[in-house]
Amino acid sequence: MSDDDVRDAATRVPTIRAQGLGRQFGETWAVRGVTFDVQAGEVLGLLGPNGAGKTTTVRMLTALIAPTEGDASIDGHDVRHDAEAVRARVGVLTETPGLYEKLSARANLEFFGRLHGLAPDVRAERIQRLLTLFDLWDRRDDPAGTFSKGMKQKLAIARALLHEPAVLFLDEPTAALDPEAAFIVRESISRLRAAGRTILLATHNLDEADRLCDRIAFVRGGLLRIDSPARLRGDLGGGPGIEVSLDAPADPSLVRAAEALPVVRGVASRNGRLSIGLEDPRRDTPALVRALVTAGAGIVEVRERAASLEDVYFEVMGVRPAAGGEAA
Amino acid sequence: MRRDIVRAVVGREFAELLRNRVLLATILIPPVILTIAPLVLGSVVQGGDRPFPDTLVAQILAQRPEWAGFTTREIATAFTLQQFLVYFLMMPAYIPLSVATFSIIGEKTSHSLEAVLASPIRTSELLAGKSIAALVPGVLAGWLTYLVFATLARVQYGPHLGSVVTDASWLAGAFLLGPAIGLLSVVAGVVVSSRSSDPRTAQQIGGVVIIPLVAFTILQASGSVIVGAFGYALTAAVVAIVALIGLRLGVALFGRETILTRWR
Repeated sequence: MSDDDVRDAATRVPTIRAQGLGRQFGETWAVRGVTFDVQAGEVLGLLGPNGAGKTTTVRMLTALIAPTEGDASIDGHDVRHDAEAVRARVGVLTETPGLYEKLSARANLEFFGRLHGLAPDVRAERIQRLLTLFDLWDRRDDPAGTFSKGMKQKLAIARALLHEPAVLFLDEPTAALDPEAAFIVRESISRLRAAGRTILLATHNLDEADRLCDRIAFVRGGLLRIDSPARLRGDLGGGPGIEVSLDAPADPSLVRAAEALPVVRGVASRNGRLSIGLEDPRRDTPALVRALVTAGAGIVEVRERAASLEDVYFEVMGVRPAAGGEAA
Repeated sequence: MRRDIVRAVVGREFAELLRNRVLLATILIPPVILTIAPLVLGSVVQGGDRPFPDTLVAQILAQRPEWAGFTTREIATAFTLQQFLVYFLMMPAYIPLSVATFSIIGEKTSHSLEAVLASPIRTSELLAGKSIAALVPGVLAGWLTYLVFATLARVQYGPHLGSVVTDASWLAGAFLLGPAIGLLSVVAGVVVSSRSSDPRTAQQIGGVVIIPLVAFTILQASGSVIVGAFGYALTAAVVAIVALIGLRLGVALFGRETILTRWR
């Protein structure tokens, strides 16, 4: 990294910045003490159960409601004092698509293009591009009310992208959708991620967050934990490492062979499985496997040691449902 | 206030209005009835065999000396027609109320307002657009119906008696007081809709605006009050001022946060 790069990184304003953000309704705090930064091109997942404060956080960050305490900015614009500028720089997909159902897909986008002050030729070009991107161009003149749930959600995402916002906020984009519609919407989000969009995705769908997000923020009345999915899983699984399945119970000589490698951070043996901690599993695994084979190991399977995101979720939230369905 | 954004809101409101058959019916059917009813009733009075009592005729002539050249039967017909001016004031009252309440509460139930509020639109621009979109159909319907009525009245009763419905008081009533009442009605619709989640409830509460009109109808029918052109113009000014004050109150009451956090 050059000196200029270091200086840029130090002075770069995050696209989303939240510092001690909180909102109180009556006597109740919906969410409090939320602090994080999101850089341009990053996808951050807000993960938490219903009522955790995800939607309230999204609404504060999009200048729809004012924070009771703390500060937040979008692209350097304060959500409290520069709300209009913030709203001009964000695209929001609300929990429900909220389309004008009697109007056509094109008329819906046309209206929002005008609200954002887009010139007629720019509007027309973007509407065509977005409706084509989301496979809706052939239905452009049909009333939105005749669309399936998945199509409505795609149209709502197109609406949120129309003014090319700095940040896209997606609030439960696949909630209440059937699997097929949810798949279509996730594919759309994947394409946006690949295109380098900055996205904040509020969801309670673990798989969705795992697949789409660079980092995940666990929220429940406040920010509990924030990190990349891989690090979250790795930390809960005892740090980075691998699991080796053998064709027979592990001989103590295999444990010694593994421990002899300087990159190994501990070995546990149980029922024909070795759990081995490594500095960097991707870098160190080939050398370790060669050492184990040389020591006489019959290796059946090698895989990275990690907890599931579901394990992480319950660990962070401090609850785990019992088999009968009640939280333990 | 940015005119382009207000125009965008008005355009979308009209586009939705034209696709809402129920609302269109409530706008279009009553004006047709209100155009025909006065003419039919006027004919019944004109052709009837029980003219007004002399005391009532004297009372009417005291208020309307310009009718001194009319026969007793013509005075009865002119007086009957006169009562219907109030109905042409009601049209700009109830149509905007219906449009405004359906517009705001419709957006509540479809959750479309959240996406609008997430755009850079200002509350004043949103409400101005909605108010204009609600006011214009009512005022235009009132004016159009009045013009059709005045034309048919001339055809049916001739220029002499027909001129009763085009005198200065009618013109002031239809073209000044009507729009002022319409504006007040829109304001009532906006304010009540912001606090209610059911269009019918909002219309009933907002309909309080029409109560003074009903009282006015009764007073005029009984001969207690006969308002001239100046009276209508003055009333229009007062109503317009009250409406504009109400509009400012409406903007203040239209809490963006309340809409997002309490509307379900």
